[in-house]
Amino acid sequence: MEGILFPHGVVQGREGLTQYQARNGYRALVEAVKTTPGNVIEEVMKAGLRGRGGAGFPTGKKWSFTGECAEQPRYLVMNGGEDEPGSKKDRVLMENLPHLVIEGVILAAYAIGASKAYLYINANYAAATKSISDALAEAKEAGYWGESVLGSNFSLAIEITPAPHNYVAGEDTAALEVIEGKKPWPRQKPPFPVTVGLFGKPTAVNNVETLANVAPIILHGADWYRRFGTAESPGTMIFSLNDDVNRPGVYELHFGTPLRHLIEECGAGMTGGRRIKAIMPAAPSSSYLPPDKMDTPLDHNSMREAGSALGCGVVRLVPEGSCIVEEVLKISEFFTAESCGQCPACRMETNTLTSLLKKVQQGQGGKPILEQFGKILAFNKGKGFCNLISMPGPPIESALKLFPEDFEAHLNTGKCPAS
Amino acid sequence: MKTVCLVCQNVDCKNRGSEQLMAELQKRVQAKGLADVEVKPYMCFGACQEGPNIVLYPEKNWYASVKIEDLDEITDRLAGGPHVQRLDTIDSSLKELIYQLLDTGVF
Repeated sequence: MEGILFPHGVVQGREGLTQYQARNGYRALVEAVKTTPGNVIEEVMKAGLRGRGGAGFPTGKKWSFTGECAEQPRYLVMNGGEDEPGSKKDRVLMENLPHLVIEGVILAAYAIGASKAYLYINANYAAATKSISDALAEAKEAGYWGESVLGSNFSLAIEITPAPHNYVAGEDTAALEVIEGKKPWPRQKPPFPVTVGLFGKPTAVNNVETLANVAPIILHGADWYRRFGTAESPGTMIFSLNDDVNRPGVYELHFGTPLRHLIEECGAGMTGGRRIKAIMPAAPSSSYLPPDKMDTPLDHNSMREAGSALGCGVVRLVPEGSCIVEEVLKISEFFTAESCGQCPACRMETNTLTSLLKKVQQGQGGKPILEQFGKILAFNKGKGFCNLISMPGPPIESALKLFPEDFEAHLNTGKCPAS
Repeated sequence: MKTVCLVCQNVDCKNRGSEQLMAELQKRVQAKGLADVEVKPYMCFGACQEGPNIVLYPEKNWYASVKIEDLDEITDRLAGGPHVQRLDTIDSSLKELIYQLLDTGVF
């Protein structure tokens, strides 16, 4: 399958400047600075590029909000916090294709009129940070960023900021707080960063994979880009598979590829020949899907219609014979631990859900306990500054709906059906 | 049945002194020799604007905006005295949500 980011399949090994230039690397930038920033935004809009960090927001639209602000300076932030458990795509891109990522950063900065870009990179990613840092030096030497990029009147400074390794630190506004030297706590929105962002100035925050798509779009054009994927989700997306399959790794697939292809062809099925009980297409915060949804196309609309989401492409599988109560308890404990604690409602919700699940696990509370989950989620809906408050809901509610027998087994016998 | 006196320790209640309230209540309960009362922290009753909040269970008495000077009356209530009506200001639908939760044993 032809890729956009990895034209010949995901490769290991770092691509240096000369290799990147040999496949037309930085040609998009050379052409772009001869046109207007508006042209870059328009092409990205026409291509239908959507954010790859989880929300799937149209990138061109985000840039147009920032680009239209009169205020200066403006900033671009590359979000390489990558704190979703099991996600590896941004690390792989930064380690192996640093120039593709950097060209995307420079093009994005040009498009929105940013004079400075911050590359926010997971502090545990030593190899990725070095790869990007070395590539920045090479690209600066070649005149791709710095004062008067390629002789134009566009100048850009770039700086790397290490991202703390915890879940909320990967949230857009938490990234801005860290870059400003504060603790990684999400901000209340609105205002959104596109208008009031870093140091109070208009800021576009884009995921690494999103930015990696920009140079191919500008180089080959929106029509070429739309040859891949579906009408509402054009292009490709990188999916991360973990130890629950025989071939863990990252796979770049056209949007619209059936989920079955990812699991059976790319991942070579579950380890130990186990059968699948449930699939979580956007771990750890999406609804579970039953195995009969294996042919759902991997795109935003199809996943939503199937009852789940695409997120940032971390696909997790639950094997037959395991207990869904134990699975969602682990997820709930994760969100409880990762809640930053500044929003009372988030602490209330995550702690209460975990307490309820522990009671179920211990076989306590009887059937009425199962009615409490929905009430607690409804009570706290929309109350937090960031999205974490809405994350435990889909896994827990879908587990209750799809596998009520696992909950009942705990409550009736006090024992786990998997033991 | 033992009475559990749950003192909210979430952000807003804590900012309004609920840690001190809990420590004081523990002292007073001990001083009065109330062996059937346990004073415990609780993670939020969802009435943050009206904190600090204290709930007695299974009595289902909810006291909001509690101050140090209210603790004598609450301690008397824990010893079997009258309900402190003036601190009972929480909306009944929220009470129902939280009491149902407590009925399942989550505390």
